[in-house]
Amino acid sequence: MATEHQARGANAVELVRVSKSFGPVLAVHELELAIRRGEVLTLLGPSGCGKTTVLNMIAGFETPSSGEIRIDGKPVTAVPPHLRDTGMVFQSYALFPHMNVFENVAFGLEMRRLAKGEIAAEVGRALEMVKLAGLEGRRVRQLSGGQQQRVALARAIVIRPKVLLLDEPLSALDKNLRAEMQIELKELHGKTGLTTVFVTHDQGEALSLSDRIVVMDRGQIQQVSAPIELYRHPANSFVASFIGEINRLPPARCVLEGSSARFELGPSLRLEMHKARGLAAYHGRMVNLFVRPEHLTIADAHDPVQNRIKVRVLTHVYQGTHTLVRVDAGALGTLQLRVPGGEVIEQAPLGAEIEVALNLDSAIILAD
Amino acid sequence: MSAADSLDSFMQQRPFFLAFLLPALLTAGLFLVALAFVLQYSLHAFIPGSLEVGGFTLDNFARVWRPIYLWVLLDTLSISLVTALATLVLSYPVAYALVRTRRNSVRTLLIVLAITPLFTGEIVRTYAWILMLGSDGFLNSVLEGLGLISTPIALLYTRLGVTVALVQFSMPVMIILLATAIAHVDADCERAAANLGARPTTVFWRVTLPLTMPGIVSGTVVIFAWTMSAFSTPQLIGGGKVLMISNLVYLQGLSSFNFPFAAVLSLVALVLALGALALIRPATRRLEAEVAPA
Amino acid sequence: MSPALAAKLRAGLFWSAVAAILVYMTIPALVVLMTSFSPSELLEFPPAGLSLRWYARALTYPDFRDAFANGLIVTGFASGVALAVGAAFAYLVDRYSFAGRGVLEAILSSPLIVPHFTTGFGFLLLGARLGLSRSYGIVIAAHVVLVLPFVVRSVYVSLRNIDPRLERAAANLGASPARVLARVTLPLLVPGMAAGWLVAAVLSLTEFTASLYVTAERTQTLPVAMYGYIREYSDPTIAAISALLIIATTLLMFAANQYLGLSRVLSIDGH
Repeated sequence: MATEHQARGANAVELVRVSKSFGPVLAVHELELAIRRGEVLTLLGPSGCGKTTVLNMIAGFETPSSGEIRIDGKPVTAVPPHLRDTGMVFQSYALFPHMNVFENVAFGLEMRRLAKGEIAAEVGRALEMVKLAGLEGRRVRQLSGGQQQRVALARAIVIRPKVLLLDEPLSALDKNLRAEMQIELKELHGKTGLTTVFVTHDQGEALSLSDRIVVMDRGQIQQVSAPIELYRHPANSFVASFIGEINRLPPARCVLEGSSARFELGPSLRLEMHKARGLAAYHGRMVNLFVRPEHLTIADAHDPVQNRIKVRVLTHVYQGTHTLVRVDAGALGTLQLRVPGGEVIEQAPLGAEIEVALNLDSAIILAD
Repeated sequence: MSAADSLDSFMQQRPFFLAFLLPALLTAGLFLVALAFVLQYSLHAFIPGSLEVGGFTLDNFARVWRPIYLWVLLDTLSISLVTALATLVLSYPVAYALVRTRRNSVRTLLIVLAITPLFTGEIVRTYAWILMLGSDGFLNSVLEGLGLISTPIALLYTRLGVTVALVQFSMPVMIILLATAIAHVDADCERAAANLGARPTTVFWRVTLPLTMPGIVSGTVVIFAWTMSAFSTPQLIGGGKVLMISNLVYLQGLSSFNFPFAAVLSLVALVLALGALALIRPATRRLEAEVAPA
Repeated sequence: MSPALAAKLRAGLFWSAVAAILVYMTIPALVVLMTSFSPSELLEFPPAGLSLRWYARALTYPDFRDAFANGLIVTGFASGVALAVGAAFAYLVDRYSFAGRGVLEAILSSPLIVPHFTTGFGFLLLGARLGLSRSYGIVIAAHVVLVLPFVVRSVYVSLRNIDPRLERAAANLGASPARVLARVTLPLLVPGMAAGWLVAAVLSLTEFTASLYVTAERTQTLPVAMYGYIREYSDPTIAAISALLIIATTLLMFAANQYLGLSRVLSIDGH
């Protein structure tokens, strides 16, 4: 029917000018967001930014103070949580302790009045998908943390919800398990195709799992982009500082001369950029320069590099594949370099005075 | 290491041990001695007209089996059971509201209203019910005033009256016990159930209630044992028409001065109360293990 | 019916039920208050007017005044002793394991389960044997035994919440065990001890059943005196005393909640 077609549009969930206050505190401010069917979207931000509130509003555990939320095109503000057909995985998993694995996973199907045989089949399938086949009879407290999380996942996906909501799903796992689960979550999404919304404060997780990331701060959306786009072209200083490691240079005045640009950070300090593109709007203005650690290199005495800065080595942090080197760059502040391997520890020992090449070609320039 | 050395190191590892232990031992000893006297009197013959007792005898225990006394025992058990169950049903909603309400002012109000009666004392509370239940009492006045009845209903000196008062007596304790149990239910479990499609009533029956079952069972048994020991309520509101063990002890002990028989009855009450709690422990342990969070 | 409406209805029903139950719990106290101001000797609802004559009578009735004084003496000593013994025992239970600890714990907490008339009767017999039946001593002893479990529980919970590293830090800095106890542990236990002492004192002041057995006319406490009065007279004097006790206790509860946080003390912190 025509109306059904309309309902099954491209967006699984829409938030239209949604605000939420708790007493005097404004947790979410005029949020506009469209979540596409089948995508993996992550709400990313520091604690208190409102991301969990948004998740709870989609699930129906919080009501927006103003604005509208639509699932599958239909407004759900008046719909209570148990009728919204969303599947939520809680941070603490919230498995029912008095039920075994099978009963936990079957619960949602029971609520939907499926026949016993169907339930058994679906539960079996879901447990296989999360690699827990055969553990139906176990009691919840006999499971490890990782296993509990899988049960929580199975319980949510078996009901084929309109949208899958995950609240910091990996935060309780140790490092190794986390990496493993990230891969499994991606595989799971591949198999189920469910629209998925994550909430996390870990930007590494967000970058690896998402189709799109929504960066939030203090109740407002800062940027919505695919991971690579977010990393390379953050929209403002907050996003630039939040995603990945970055060096923030002191404010500089941008002066354009023909096709090159000059950044004056002080009376005797200036940085040059030969191929300045798209910077016309910044001419004469103060800008913030951000440079990723991997774009700073140790300059050889004879290399023809653009910007040489004299620095003193402060610390090394060896990480196996690379070494993070913190240097004191005087007026430019403390900078961090990411150098492959570990040879740099001997080549540029602590306290050594070396030169660093600052390539601005990949720099992020923002005027906020 | 000599004995003195090992004692020294023992004392060093446990400073204050003796100083803190002795008073507790003394108090425990005192209590046990008091109970021992009860036992002793129960095993000796009653000499009418005297507080002295005669020789060793088991007659007092035999006397308990007389039908009139057994009826009192049965009555006590049944009143206690009804009271415990009624208290449970009425206390659960209050306890749930107390724990789950988001507003602190509401919680404070509920706590004060629920807990304060506990500290006003039996006599005050029993007297209040005398005022409530008498033929000139509050309830009858209200019912007559509303035109629902033309002659007062007899509520005083009836089992119903005693039970209604006992339930109100027991509610604060039950509310505290249930509230503790409910507070330990992970609210996320309730939300998860709702998220999976369970209506609020379903969430209650399938998640909240089962998870609070250990608290329900132990709370009910505690109130049951407690009610069996109730005295002032059956005494003043039962007025001799509703007899529980406690009243019998009073009659025998402080009216007839038959200390031996009063002692037997006291011991029977003690054994029943302890027995009820002991019987329920394995069941509660098992329930607690089942609903323990992962 | 729309789900939102159903939800509202359900919530309304729930809160109405809770309110009705609370009315059931509270009305007796209100009736007492009402009656205490009634000008007439006979019960009538609503009271014909407002009068303080019963308050005057209650406050001047010699039996009540003596009984109240007795109560203060008994409770003063009993709660004090219970506090000292109970706090010390709680410390023992929290810190040390020793043979027979479980048994001792069970014995000291059994007054919670043993009927008050059994305990009272036992102390009556004990007092008779020791020749102390007319003294305060036996009453105080009985009260100590009855309220001790509450002190122990309250202090024990408080002890469990103390960070052991604080005491270790003090010892590490050179404080002897006695010093640590006096300067670190005890100050941190004050809320728990205060709450335990308060519960013990109130329960002792209002205790009736056991006191009925162990008190003599000379040493009778207020509840026992009130019982005697109720059996003889039916005027609202008791209502006046009861009203005073109810108001005092309610104010006490509000204050206790303010300063000690009742929900924490009773471990019913919720969400």
